[in-house]
Amino acid sequence: MIQLTNIEKYYANKGVKNYVLRLVTTTINQGEFVSIMGPSGAGKSTLLNIIGMLEEPTYGTYHFMGEDVTSLSERKRIELYRNHIGFVFQAYHLIDEMTVYENIEAPLLYKKVGSAERASRIADLLDRFNIVAKKDLFPNQLSGGQQQLVGIARALAAQPSIILADEPTGNLQSAQAEEIMSLFKKLNEEEGITIIQVTHSEKNAQYGNRILHIADGVVKEDVAVLS
Amino acid sequence: MFKLNLKIAWRNLWKNKGYTLINILGLSIGMASCILIFIFIRYQMSFDKDFKDSDRIYRVVSSWDYSDGNQFFSQGVPLPLTPAMRNDFSPYIEKIAAIEQSTGVIQINDAAGKERLKTQEDAFYIEPDFFGIFDYKWLSGDYAALKDPGNIVLSKEMADKFFGSWKNALGKSVNYDMASYIVIGVIDDVAENNSVPLKIMLSYKSFKSKNLDRWGSVGSSSESYIKLKPNVNIEALNTPLQAFLKKYYTEKAPGKEGHLFQPLNDIHYNSKFGNFSGRIMPKKQIYGLAVIGFFLIITASINFINLATAQAVSRSKEVGIRKVMGSQRGQLVAQFLTETLTIVLVSLLLGSVLTEIALPGMQNLFGSKISFSIFEHPIILAFLLFLAVFVSLLAGFYPAIVISGFNPVLAIKNKVSANTGGLGLRKVLVVFQFAITVTLIIGTLVILQQMKYVREQPLGFNPTAIAMVDLPNDSLTMQRFDTFKSQLKQVPGVEEVSLCRTPPSSQNNNGSSFSYNSSKDADFQVNTKNADEDYLKTFDLKLVAGRNIVKSDTINEYLVNETLLKKLNVNNPQEAIGKILSMGGMKAPIVGVIQDFKNRSLHESIDPILVGSSRARYFNAAIKLNSAQMLTTMKNVQKIWQRTFPESVYSELFLNEQIKNYYQGEQVMGTLFKVFAGVIIFISFIGLFGLISFVATQRTKEVAIRKVLGASTIELVKMLNGSFIVMVFIANLVAWPLAYLFVSKWLNGFAYRIDLSIWPFMLAMLISMTITLITVSFRSYRAAAANTIDALKYE
Repeated sequence: MIQLTNIEKYYANKGVKNYVLRLVTTTINQGEFVSIMGPSGAGKSTLLNIIGMLEEPTYGTYHFMGEDVTSLSERKRIELYRNHIGFVFQAYHLIDEMTVYENIEAPLLYKKVGSAERASRIADLLDRFNIVAKKDLFPNQLSGGQQQLVGIARALAAQPSIILADEPTGNLQSAQAEEIMSLFKKLNEEEGITIIQVTHSEKNAQYGNRILHIADGVVKEDVAVLS
Repeated sequence: MFKLNLKIAWRNLWKNKGYTLINILGLSIGMASCILIFIFIRYQMSFDKDFKDSDRIYRVVSSWDYSDGNQFFSQGVPLPLTPAMRNDFSPYIEKIAAIEQSTGVIQINDAAGKERLKTQEDAFYIEPDFFGIFDYKWLSGDYAALKDPGNIVLSKEMADKFFGSWKNALGKSVNYDMASYIVIGVIDDVAENNSVPLKIMLSYKSFKSKNLDRWGSVGSSSESYIKLKPNVNIEALNTPLQAFLKKYYTEKAPGKEGHLFQPLNDIHYNSKFGNFSGRIMPKKQIYGLAVIGFFLIITASINFINLATAQAVSRSKEVGIRKVMGSQRGQLVAQFLTETLTIVLVSLLLGSVLTEIALPGMQNLFGSKISFSIFEHPIILAFLLFLAVFVSLLAGFYPAIVISGFNPVLAIKNKVSANTGGLGLRKVLVVFQFAITVTLIIGTLVILQQMKYVREQPLGFNPTAIAMVDLPNDSLTMQRFDTFKSQLKQVPGVEEVSLCRTPPSSQNNNGSSFSYNSSKDADFQVNTKNADEDYLKTFDLKLVAGRNIVKSDTINEYLVNETLLKKLNVNNPQEAIGKILSMGGMKAPIVGVIQDFKNRSLHESIDPILVGSSRARYFNAAIKLNSAQMLTTMKNVQKIWQRTFPESVYSELFLNEQIKNYYQGEQVMGTLFKVFAGVIIFISFIGLFGLISFVATQRTKEVAIRKVLGASTIELVKMLNGSFIVMVFIANLVAWPLAYLFVSKWLNGFAYRIDLSIWPFMLAMLISMTITLITVSFRSYRAAAANTIDALKYE
């Protein structure tokens, strides 16, 4: 599903190249749950951003679902966002001015899903995540864990084939974190959604089935998790 | 503390250079406009103010009430009025003086009796009491000798011009219209802001007129001024005035005569009456300008308030920390006001520079010497200070209160919601601002449309390439008219020549009673134009019935216009041919009917008009020129003229120019509106740009989130623009009724006017929406196209 070949990324600063990623080559298949781990500044988030097409690599090629997306037109990229990729952020990034319901609805509007279909999908998500009662609240009226649930619900609304999560539990207490991670595991196992997460926590990484260890921009280790 | 505040203010302004620039730009332009308007108004309000006891000085003016409800006013009075009033009103008035305007040829001879200088000048025959009413500054001599005929008083400027230096003038001799006068005094130059521009003053006793004892004749060149006795109320004069009117107006006339006492300080502002300076500035226009100035400064201040409250959030952390450190709210308010004051002062400085730059244009537009000298007029400095304080408070107070009111805990955690500072209020202010802008746009469009309409309105005659040359008319010069005319006709380039009293369209009109086909006077007056048989040809006037008059030196045939017949209820022009018309004792048959032509400005409707030959009343030679060679032709015309009338001074005017002058007021108004509409549009739209910049920055995160959710750039631009477009749309809806009231009132001042259609309104909407869309999209596109990751990367 995702094929990265010799991905390099550096920032030039006054002629000095600061490498963030060096010669990253890896393949992620449909249905995998991959955790990217490593110390701060290792390049985990940058790698995830490149996978999410939020950043472009300096060198290397990137195939997404068999298509070369190394540098993609905005229109095509938006097309992928609408149909295939869901993002979950550490800081949730809900829109403050919109209610829970409206936040989840937003991607469906962009995808131009009909109103009846929208209502049923949102109802389904609210129900699944046990946040029906919260649907008319604004993000700042929710706890962090609840906000992240909304964030995931929003990511799932467009029925993506892959979810990219940048430290989804970084701002959460451990009980809430566990809840989120089991949710990811369930989504991965029951619905076959590919999940790629960046995490600091060895414990969280154990929920997945593969770990990419990165240090100084280089993939040091690529191990499978035995359940 | 203040110094520290100032330092912090400066750093903050520097940090937000973009917003500071927008604020300063808007405020300085708004302030410059305000200053210009203020100094103009100051100048206009300074007219006729510099005299002692000016509240006791009045001008006697005339009015006529007609049976059809029309009223007519004149600044002049019948010549016998002044002596009669001096006698009958002596218990009430201290002094009364007549003043008669005239134009004549001044001739100065040197010691050897050789002509040294000859020029045409305006002069006044003036009674010595005039100087008892108005305390002019006398440089030499005094006015006592003015009671004898043959004396003259000069202004410093004239005395310098005639004799090199005013100090040499006393006792010298001056010829005015062939009569000799002795200089008995010199007064200091009369300032421009005076309704009586005295330069040359002659003994009133030297003034000759056959009307000296005729109550029925009133000319605008004969004015009369009174000064009340101290402690006499002007109302006390009403009763004696009634008796006075009854006593002297014994002849039957179509209009009922009356007189009014016009206060000196009304003369410059009342457009019902004229004055000798020819400068009138109706109070209504002054107030209109003041209102525009006020709106301009409000618009600029709104920019400031909007940007300041919008920026408030980014200041919240600073406020929180200061509060925790023990700052009181008052101190914070003071700090933010200092910031505002800094901006306002910088803007004021820049605004003063802009004023100085715009001043020559303004002086040109109004034709007056408006001064921006704070030393000459300290009130301007006072106004500048007032403006600075007013704008600082207006623009700075509300944001200061909002910002200083933040809760310190929330403020430090940066948890102050983005909507703080009244998102609602900001919207209301923007709507208000744009309502003003749209009103001005509509006003400008309508004024321009009406001016175009006036320009293109068929006049009913052809005024192009017609030169009006003065014709000296007395018993001597009259004899030379025929030769003069035939000589002119020989000049190559001259197509037609007509000797006449006035051109078809003129400000110089006089009405007379007349009777049509009966011995009974008609109940309205007729506008008499005297002209020779070439009048129709020269001005390209059309006959609808009958024939042209034949050559004659006195009235023995009449032409009338259609309006006259309409007013007499004669429907068929043919019917009027051959009917006898009698006016001023002169009976003659009507031989032709002229198609109606516009004989006044388009503010007024067409008069009933009578045309008859009368050589004694020809004061102009209308010369139709071949437009290809006007310059050389006019040179030849001047040569012939000077040969024919060597004792007089030549003057020419083009009819086109004269007609254009009717609409000078409207042209000035049109220009003003164009300029101020431009200024206000500029201010409003840079304000809008500032606001969208802020909104875009504030919503960067939201934009980024929406982008990863699959929003396209166009959708994001639409989202960011939406509220602005709605606001400007609402502003249009607010502006329409306002603008409608305003422009329909203005248009009512024209007898010939455009039908007010929806188009200026639609166009104003289109203009405002389009500019909004461009301004806003320019910024929101940048925000929508920005790199997503930059907004999401850092927490």
